[in-house]
Amino acid sequence: MGGGLIMIVFDRVNKYYGDFHVLKDINLTIKKGEVVVVIGPSGSGKSTLLRCINRLETISEGSLSINGLNVADKKTDINKLRRNIGMVFQHFHLYPHKTVLENIMLAPKKVLGQSVEEAKKIALKYLDKVGIGDKANSFPSQLSGGQQQRVAIARGLAMGPEIMLFDEPTSALDPEMIGEVLDVMKALAHEGMTMVVVTHEMGFAREVADRIVFMDEGRVLEEASPAEFYANPREERARLFLSRILNH
Amino acid sequence: MDFAGAYTPDNLKFLLEGFWVTLQVAFISIILSFIIGGLVGIIRYAKVPVLSQILALIVETVRNLPLLLIIFFTYFALPEVRIKLEIIPAAIVALTIFESAMLSEVIRSGLKSIDKGQMEAARSSGLSYTQALIHIILPQALRRMVPPIVSQFISLLKDTSLAVVISLPELTHHGQIIYGQSQKYLIPILILVALMYFIVNYSLSLVAQRLELKRT
Repeated sequence: MGGGLIMIVFDRVNKYYGDFHVLKDINLTIKKGEVVVVIGPSGSGKSTLLRCINRLETISEGSLSINGLNVADKKTDINKLRRNIGMVFQHFHLYPHKTVLENIMLAPKKVLGQSVEEAKKIALKYLDKVGIGDKANSFPSQLSGGQQQRVAIARGLAMGPEIMLFDEPTSALDPEMIGEVLDVMKALAHEGMTMVVVTHEMGFAREVADRIVFMDEGRVLEEASPAEFYANPREERARLFLSRILNH
Repeated sequence: MDFAGAYTPDNLKFLLEGFWVTLQVAFISIILSFIIGGLVGIIRYAKVPVLSQILALIVETVRNLPLLLIIFFTYFALPEVRIKLEIIPAAIVALTIFESAMLSEVIRSGLKSIDKGQMEAARSSGLSYTQALIHIILPQALRRMVPPIVSQFISLLKDTSLAVVISLPELTHHGQIIYGQSQKYLIPILILVALMYFIVNYSLSLVAQRLELKRT
């Protein structure tokens, strides 16, 4: 952590779905190069929090800014903001009608205006990086879940984002494929990517996170370094959660 | 029953002329209703404010009227407000209005059937809504929509026969004229007319099946 640039700031953010209060007074600051892991029971608002960052969800109150740019402001060019934020979903959401290479090249071509050769070069580079350079011409349906998720990560990286968001990236995977995806994410973290990760992978959180954010019922209950959090969670609710998730 | 008397070269030529009109009217209406129905379906899927509500009202109205009534409107009622359409344009306009409404629903539900994660993934990567629609949602939806769209085309081709009421010189009408000459021609001519519709429509569904097999 230390003195990095401030990238993401939640300032008293609230969100409602009708009467349902999903996010309650969220205050959270994330610096450049930080890896923040958000954990908590299901329904605690973790995914919603993450999805607010690239405005897949809109906030109801408060302010949320990325690099000083107000995300909620109608004047903010959301497409421009999103170029800078890669997102990886639980269910991959690769484009099934396009090859792996086309999946990765689409946004760089259409959004950044890269030439086909340029986009292809970059796509291949990231495919190699996630360890499946040989699958460039396969269709998503021909890949295993772990491979698909690695393609999804490469697709996010090809835009050259400053921030990567991960929404339970391993929850839909068979157990033996979780490792290969986490390894890619670890490598990314070590290269200094700013990452916000919603996950139940406690090993990953402990090893890679700079900070753990524990959420419950729409609130951030606790923020701590992994060492602190796992050794001695301050909140009773966090203690209960940890005992359940670690002793199963 | 007089098959030999019914199937004279002149009668066959007359039937084929009628069938040619059927195919032309159907083809033009299919193209127009695919374009209009496609646009309406997309606009309603995208929930364009105001416009999509207006279109919803129109589509629901048209879909719940008999096509026959719409044909009466375009041919008999429009001249009352000084819009005079000849028989063929009147038939094309009526078919296009009706089939556009039907097709727009097919296309809208096809678009809706695509997992919303696809749109989210595309938008997250910085693509605009329109770009995501063009490159991600539409191509996937179109593949899924081939069978229902073709079956809509088949309905349209059959529905051209309703324009017999405004004397559109199409296949069914020409058939009527021939068996009008003699009751003995009735069954032979109806069989032949049925065969002509069947051959074209069945070929269309075979093409649709082939397209469907190809994508799996």
